[in-house]
Parts: sequence; structure tokens; C-alpha cells
Amino acid sequence: MAPRWKGETAEAKEPMSVIVSKLQTSLIESNAQGLLSGCAVLLEALPEQTELLYRACIGRPLITAEKDKKQWHQLSFEEALYLCCVLKCIKIAGENKCAKSNDELWHYMMVKRVGFPVMFKAYSHLRRKNWVVRAGSQYGVDYVAYRYHPAFVHSEYAVLALPDDEDGGSENSRLKVWSDFHCTLRLCGSVAKTLLVLHISRNGEDDVVSLSSLEHYSVEERVVTRWNPEVSRDAK
Amino acid sequence: MMETDASQSFRSDDGVYDCDSGSEGFVEDSLDDELCFASGDFPKLQFRKERSKVRWIEELGMAEVLEKKGKMWITTGISRNGKTYCSIEETLYLAEIGALDVLNVDDTPLPLSDLYAKLAEDREKYGCSWESFEVYRYLKSLGYIVGRHGVAWSMKNVKNKTNADDSVGESCSIIDKGNVDYTFITDMFGNMHLGGTRPIFDVFPPNSKFRKSSSGDPSFMLCRTSGHPPSRQEIEDIETCCGRIPLKLYVVEHGRVSFLSFTKVELPALP
Repeated sequence: MAPRWKGETAEAKEPMSVIVSKLQTSLIESNAQGLLSGCAVLLEALPEQTELLYRACIGRPLITAEKDKKQWHQLSFEEALYLCCVLKCIKIAGENKCAKSNDELWHYMMVKRVGFPVMFKAYSHLRRKNWVVRAGSQYGVDYVAYRYHPAFVHSEYAVLALPDDEDGGSENSRLKVWSDFHCTLRLCGSVAKTLLVLHISRNGEDDVVSLSSLEHYSVEERVVTRWNPEVSRDAK
Repeated sequence: MMETDASQSFRSDDGVYDCDSGSEGFVEDSLDDELCFASGDFPKLQFRKERSKVRWIEELGMAEVLEKKGKMWITTGISRNGKTYCSIEETLYLAEIGALDVLNVDDTPLPLSDLYAKLAEDREKYGCSWESFEVYRYLKSLGYIVGRHGVAWSMKNVKNKTNADDSVGESCSIIDKGNVDYTFITDMFGNMHLGGTRPIFDVFPPNSKFRKSSSGDPSFMLCRTSGHPPSRQEIEDIETCCGRIPLKLYVVEHGRVSFLSFTKVELPALP
């Protein structure tokens, strides 16, 4: 499926990598620190950071009555960890206001969310390629991936992050029976998205996952599509 | 479609279900129709007027063609030693549409019921299950050219073969003092030891100028599937065998067929 732009093309817009880079710089300069809470990280942002978070499609703003120019945002684990450990531009603290180490954060998130390592690998894999990645639960998948900000482009991919079978990945397994395929494909089709499966492989790394061992995981991208033989007789 | 001679068109469903659409409880599901078909819902069944003649040879698990009538032979049957042989699915398909008289070795007629029985035999003796036949029949009725995977249309095609799967490599048949060597049939059933997901058909686009001696590569290879979706590794293993030819899988459930592809991609890094 070719990218579907809304209105003018993205050529007129600033590249995602530049937006992310500006965000990174700004957050570092202001010593930004997020607050770990349940399955979210709350971040207070300066106006320019709010603008950049919006343009990079990271987090969701919280609507409050606060008159202060600062704006609160809610980040998912993936988004927070990406900013903290990959872009290294925020710190994250618990209620005691002390910044947690990467390992502490990792451990906390792994416990809170089933199959988080595989999910995070998928998220960071796509983000590193400057794709916009948002939650996909309303489409029955893990993520939706866009080539640019959703205001300017329709999402192309509905993404599922699957662990490799050899890794004994029973935690995060989906698409286990044929009806799973029919169901997911139908859902994707009705919202005009292509199903993208990211096969995440441990590559022999240990059972106990650390943030650093995640670096050695590999990701194989496969697009799952239906073919209708009646539509085109060129058998493609 | 290019196979049509003076044939009689038979629309199996026209008018039959119109009365249902207004009735309560009938769920209009056009999306459904788009995605699958059910056994029997053919776009068009073309019954033939002229009948060709074949003889079923049990040791071969194929039918030897005795008389050819009609243009369908351009895209049906394999050529060996100047003769043409049909697989069980080809035989059954043509018999169903009335284009074929099938004989036993003793020249007695082999009725449709016996052909269905052969297909029903345990362990897919002739390399094709009922479900695989349903898929074969469906694609043929749409005009596609469908051959058994890994079996060359003619021996002239052998050096053009790109199939890297040597375990089912073509053994040349030899005419030895009038005795025909049937060893080529091992190709038909050679890879049956592989369970689950495996390639079964090579599919070519509709082509009235199709030549068995230079068929070229198929558009894709079609794999049958088992009750379980294949693992990523299984798909990769088949892809390794199939080389650069794309793969599709079919899933048949309750007579409904879906064709799926699991295409490896590489999303570009964006600016």
C-alpha cells in the first residue's frame, strides 16, 4: 500500500528525525524528569517541548486547569523508556523524586506489562527508523505505524510484535490459529491498514532480558495480506 | 476465457438466492464474498460439448490421454515421451465439467464417483486432497493455469527449471525398447513426507499463448496448510526451497478458501 497523504505531502514538513532531535536537545537542557505512575510516566513540559512532543507524536497531553505555562503529558512505557534510555534525554523517578537507574526502570516495566521486552523492541525498532508509532489497541493490534504525523498521513500499518517460537514465547503469542488471522486481517482491512508482523528473535540471548541484551535481538518484518484471485487475473 | 470452445454456460447461482436477500435473518455480507468463496459458488461453470478421452493408470496415479478435444490441453497435463498425462485433480476437474471420458485399463468407463473415491483415499495417495482439489478447481474456473509444484510441464522445460528443491528433482523418463519408465511420477508425490505447510501447486496467470515447453516461472507457488498456521521458521524454510518465486498459502475451512501471503519486507528508514 502506498502512503496516503492528507492534503500536501510531507516534503513540505520538517523531517521526523529533526523534530525528535530538537525535542531531545530541549529536554536535556531543561533536565527533564518524568514521574513513574502505574503503567504511565508523567512529564511536565515547557511550551516548546509540548509543541515538539505533539509534532513527534510522543505522549498525550493532560488537560488540567493549571494556569502555569508548563503542560503535563502522559507517556506510555515504550515512549518513556525510549526517551530515557535510547535518546537519553529525560530521567524518570518514582514518588521519592529520585531518578531510577535504567535497570530499575526496566525491571519495573517488565513486571508491570506482560511481554514488555518484545513490545519495546518492536517500538524502538520502528522509532529508530523515524516512523511514528502509536498504540494500536483500538484496532486490535499492538501499534499503528505512520510515515509521519497522523494529521498529515493515514496510517499504513497495523503492527503486531511476536516473539519467535523457539524462544518459547507463549506470553505474547498471537495469530496462533487460523481464525486469529481471519479476524485480524478483516479488522485491518476494514480500517484500510496493512498487517505488519514484527518477528522478534532472542538470537540466543539469555532468558533474563536486560535492556542491553535487547540490542542483540533481531526483528524480521513481514506483511500479511489476503489475495483475492477474482480481482486481478495477473496472479499477483 | 481462453479455454472456451463452443461451450454451454451454466450459472449455478443466478436467481436461486435472490429471494433470500429480502428475507429476515439473511445477512448481507459483501465483504465476506470478496474475501472467500464457498465450494459451489462458482462465478461460471462451463460445461463442455466435446469430450476428450483418458485412461486412468493406477501405478502412475495419473491418467494417460488418449484423445484430445479442445484448447484446454494447452494448459492441462504434462508431456512425457510424446504422451500427455493428467493428475488426479486435472482429471477430476475435466470430468466434472463434462469434458472427459475416463476409462479404466480394461477400457470400462471410470465414473465420477470412482474418481471422487480416489481423491478420498487415505494419505492422499495421488498427492492431492479434497481441499487441494477445491482450490485447484476454483483457480481453474477463473482461468489460472495450475500445475503440480515441482513437476515440469514438459521435458523441454527441465533445463529452465529454477526450483532448487532437489529432493523432488525430476527423473528423466526413458523409453527403453518400448517400455516407458514411469519414474517421473516420484515428483508428484515426492515431497509428501513433509507435513503441514508445503508447496503443492505452481500458478501461472491466464494465458492463451501458454506453452508447456517454455512456461517460464510461475507467478507464485501455492502451499497447502495444516490445521495450524505455520511458524516463521517454516515459512522461511519453504522460501529457501522456492527461491525467488513468491509464495502464497491457502486455508480451507468449511469449504471457504482464503489465500494468504507472508511477505518479508524492509520498512525504509525515513528522514
